[in-house]
Amino acid sequence: MLLADFGTSYCKFLDLDENIPRLIPTREMDKSTKVDVATGHNGKRYSARYVNELTALAKGGEALISTPDFTLLDCGSRDIKYIRYEGGKVKDMGWNAECGASMGFTIELLERYYDLNFSQLEVPLSSFSVTCGVLGMSHIFDAVVSGESEAAAVARFVKGIALNAYNFSDKPQVLYLSGGLCDNPLFVKSFPCQVMVLGRFVLLEGLKTIIQSGFSLSKK
Amino acid sequence: MAYSVGIIGIPPLEIIRKIEGCTVYDLDEPLVTNEIEAASPFLPSVYCAILRTAVVNSLSLKPNIIYIDVGPGKCDCAIHTATILESILPKTKVVRTINRDKKDFGTPLCTTQMPFLDKMTAITASVRSAKPHKRLPSCPPQAGFWGVPPRDFSFLALFPDTTHIYGWTRCMENKTPDNRALEEYFDPHVPTVFFAQSFCAKTALARHLANCHPRSLYLDCDVTAGSSAKAKIQAFLELSGVTDALG
Repeated sequence: MLLADFGTSYCKFLDLDENIPRLIPTREMDKSTKVDVATGHNGKRYSARYVNELTALAKGGEALISTPDFTLLDCGSRDIKYIRYEGGKVKDMGWNAECGASMGFTIELLERYYDLNFSQLEVPLSSFSVTCGVLGMSHIFDAVVSGESEAAAVARFVKGIALNAYNFSDKPQVLYLSGGLCDNPLFVKSFPCQVMVLGRFVLLEGLKTIIQSGFSLSKK
Repeated sequence: MAYSVGIIGIPPLEIIRKIEGCTVYDLDEPLVTNEIEAASPFLPSVYCAILRTAVVNSLSLKPNIIYIDVGPGKCDCAIHTATILESILPKTKVVRTINRDKKDFGTPLCTTQMPFLDKMTAITASVRSAKPHKRLPSCPPQAGFWGVPPRDFSFLALFPDTTHIYGWTRCMENKTPDNRALEEYFDPHVPTVFFAQSFCAKTALARHLANCHPRSLYLDCDVTAGSSAKAKIQAFLELSGVTDALG
């Protein structure tokens, strides 16, 4: 059985027979692809059965996190979303596809445009007030015009996005992080709390959990 | 041309009895095709979408008379909207009411099994009648919806037929819009979505009650419910065991 998380920038696949996840840039994906069960922004187009992204995130968190109280934040290319558990049960959730739009996508664009290596950038002392990737760009341009280095300006932008995501997820002491931005060390280090990195495949893990529980979540 | 009456909020029963037989527009609901931005010259864009809708409807339909409730059963924003309507519709008589009705009509629709969209529609339609409600069987609740009837009904389709309604919508069916105890009531055993319109004072109560409830989701929406709002409701119902993740 083939599972997939069809994201805006990257698609993640998991064949349950092999159990090794694969990552493919969305623009390189064969458009005739069909999978058995999918989640993600583009999931409905390529699958027979679709699972809500928040549900997949929550089930992935349940499978990967051993503590009953946790906040799991997924920072993708297009949006950010979180799920908070207390006592093993869902307590709160959020999905910011509008104000938090395109944060991950913008960070990747900036990395290429300015030819940066995020593993070599230090976390700056101050950040920009960033609520959205697109609006945040103007802060970078203003800083560069006023003499700040491009790398320093982008680092402040990245820290601003991390702080925004931290506030959005209700400021947890420990934050479990999933999504493509897990691979960005500057972003991970910019959070003002302990961060537990779970990687890109948490939603796939959630799909797997749902499948293994018998094609449905427990019905009341 | 028929004498037309507009209502905003829930006018007292004595008014409803008086206007039965007239063409009655519930101006809180989207009735015309004009964009909601048509209200922006008169109300700020960042304002209750229900009252912005009422202004758009009023501008288009131009009722002969508008009864607008400005009491504690509606909201402060309605007080100012009444002033604005008087100013922009000089040929329409604007009558302010303060609904203090205390007679309980019951809430059979809120607790019966029925497609959720139809249930909400039936409750909002019942405002225009002073007749007693039909008796309906109650069902055990699988989920709860607390709040006001939303500006955008589209997300209601996500709720199962066995969803019970709480909050101001329940007060609405009971014909006691100023009934704090009824409005604040919820069942902690029922997973409940606490909804309020963005920029409405009821957002405070919705969020507070959601915090008091062990299995709740707080949600506010403005003019329309976006995909993320709908996804939150769907995930909440799935993760609460109310609906299946794979349909």
